[in-house]
Amino acid sequence: MSLESHEHEHTRFPDEDLPAGAVVDGAALTRDFDERYDFVVIGSGASGAVAAHTLASAGFSVAIVEEGPYAKTRELKEDVRGTFKRLLRDNGTQVLKGRVFMPMLQGRCVGGSTLINSAIAWRIPEDVVDDWQARFGVGDGITMKTLEPHFEALERDLNVHAVEDAVLGENNALFLDAAERKGLHATRMRRYERGCKGSGQCITGCPNGAKQGMSVSYVPWALATGRARVFCSTRALRVDVAGGRAVGVIAEANGRRVSLRARCGVFVAASTVQTPNLLRRSGLRARAIGQHFQAHPGVGAGGLFDRPVRMDFGATQGAESIALRSSDRIKLETIGMPPELACARVPGIGNELSSRLAQFGNVGVWVTNIRMQAEGTVGTQWDGRDVVKFTPNGADMLSARKALVLLGHMFLDSGAREVWPGVAGLPAIMTTHDEVERIADATMDPRGYSFIATHLFGAARLGPDPRTSVVSPEFEAHEARGLYVVDSSVFPTNLGVNPQHTIMALARMAATRVAERAARSAAA
Amino acid sequence: MIALIALTAFERRAAHAAFETVFPGPDRGSLPYGIADMNLDEFLDDTLASVPFESALGLRLAFVFLALAPLFFIGRFATLMSLGAEDRERVVERVYASAVYPIRSTVVMLKAIGALLYCGDARVRPLIVRGGAPVAAVRESAALVPLRVRAKALTAGEEASRVA
Repeated sequence: MSLESHEHEHTRFPDEDLPAGAVVDGAALTRDFDERYDFVVIGSGASGAVAAHTLASAGFSVAIVEEGPYAKTRELKEDVRGTFKRLLRDNGTQVLKGRVFMPMLQGRCVGGSTLINSAIAWRIPEDVVDDWQARFGVGDGITMKTLEPHFEALERDLNVHAVEDAVLGENNALFLDAAERKGLHATRMRRYERGCKGSGQCITGCPNGAKQGMSVSYVPWALATGRARVFCSTRALRVDVAGGRAVGVIAEANGRRVSLRARCGVFVAASTVQTPNLLRRSGLRARAIGQHFQAHPGVGAGGLFDRPVRMDFGATQGAESIALRSSDRIKLETIGMPPELACARVPGIGNELSSRLAQFGNVGVWVTNIRMQAEGTVGTQWDGRDVVKFTPNGADMLSARKALVLLGHMFLDSGAREVWPGVAGLPAIMTTHDEVERIADATMDPRGYSFIATHLFGAARLGPDPRTSVVSPEFEAHEARGLYVVDSSVFPTNLGVNPQHTIMALARMAATRVAERAARSAAA
Repeated sequence: MIALIALTAFERRAAHAAFETVFPGPDRGSLPYGIADMNLDEFLDDTLASVPFESALGLRLAFVFLALAPLFFIGRFATLMSLGAEDRERVVERVYASAVYPIRSTVVMLKAIGALLYCGDARVRPLIVRGGAPVAAVRESAALVPLRVRAKALTAGEEASRVA
């Protein structure tokens, strides 16, 4: 056994040694549940976990309702298929439906998508806050100044820092070098992590407990207060609204009814895709529910080098550039993809595919996330399931094309022998700058590209006007007092940077304010 | 979640033919194992039982479509399963190269789903992740999409001597 294995064996992870009774596994439930708390929080991802911790830390009792299981660090393995089956919604087969089908991966487990993302920390850009002020009337409650203490607290709690040399990895290093050659300002990502070993397994869950996802940070910290309990494998059916006020949550687990009554309020943090329909099931009828969905769809390119890149080592995502965010709505970044996920984008079938898979250790993958202008909708399809409709517009496609051209040139500049742009109607393999330049004239049809839907926003938009928004600038539903929505569904627009940090900061700010009001009200 | 009943024998044979064309064994590929060396039936049953109805239906339609594809893509009144390996590859390549999005998406879907089994296999995964021997470029043309592939894989020894 290696030294590292011994070390792992003796490490106690934060998701172990939780207080007795703090985790209720709905899958094993054999009786109905009826309990009373100060607050009930639906969802244990970035927003729900932070809100729950904030409320519990302020002295309130909190129930967290999570549809998926609690996957502990010690159970996490580099097993994409197993991870998809157990921890992703619909086995990882969710798609945005529009002119093109875009795969969309959402965690369905304690910690939500923070278990499977790359823990990238970006404060909300100031221009976005200015836009929200100017066009959406969010008021004085959401400003850079009001958000700052929350960002600072999160960064302290989750140890946000730039990727260190030891775990940079070749895919990230090559990107930084290529960006510099192109004159693009690029940086190492700032991430939530403690002791990253560069295992390159962010996507299947950190096996070292280094990534500070919610299942090893705010959820166990909330439970450790002794005032919070998480009901996992428990599906929230609706918020119980009586007399215009949220009074609890009705959920279901293993065929049993779970009724969680809320003395002070209910926080909905179920994600942009699930929150709108949950609100509808709870009787809310605002016209804005399900409208104004936005995203940062990503499209990427592979580069085959004559030397090892080894995406299985280093920060899964460790380098990025927002140099073109303002001008072209483009963010460039790296991603270390496991072959199970990259394969569909490797050229060819049969021996062509096989021979390139045999060289996969020499492959790097760089992507662009587009701050798309298009808006979509979140609704319910014939079988009651959530459905998201979204199609990029012409401006979005121009940005995607421009970014792919840039990535192609960057790969060649940094010595890649082949570039795999994945654009229909063009060579699957490009080896010269002239060939890459052909992407600039490629189809504008989004079906010609392999988009993946990342970073989801809107569909329960925040604003002062009940005719055009779902929740007030204080995050409370216009139609139900005591019902707070704190996930990215309330964002009036997308951001152009990774949203987890902003989601958490807004949730923390909202929960802090609600807790202060509830404490004052209790004191009175 | 509405589960679909098990694959018919026809669909299962079509699935095998299609997946084995995409992920060939050492006789037609560069890696020492093909998807035929793995428990494809169990994987298919498990996948169909655990994905939503629409996804399962889409996958089954893809199998049926690919089974009948020789008629439309090489003008042969035959099923994919009845063809030899080389012709199967020709058919699947042409489907993959189709200008019609839903048609080429059938092969993309096969690659995406099959990769969960194939690339995740304990024997294959280390060869892929740590592999990097510069196999000679297989590209034979700058066609709009890859149309033909190199006929024979190199063994590791041949590859090493080639590099040397």
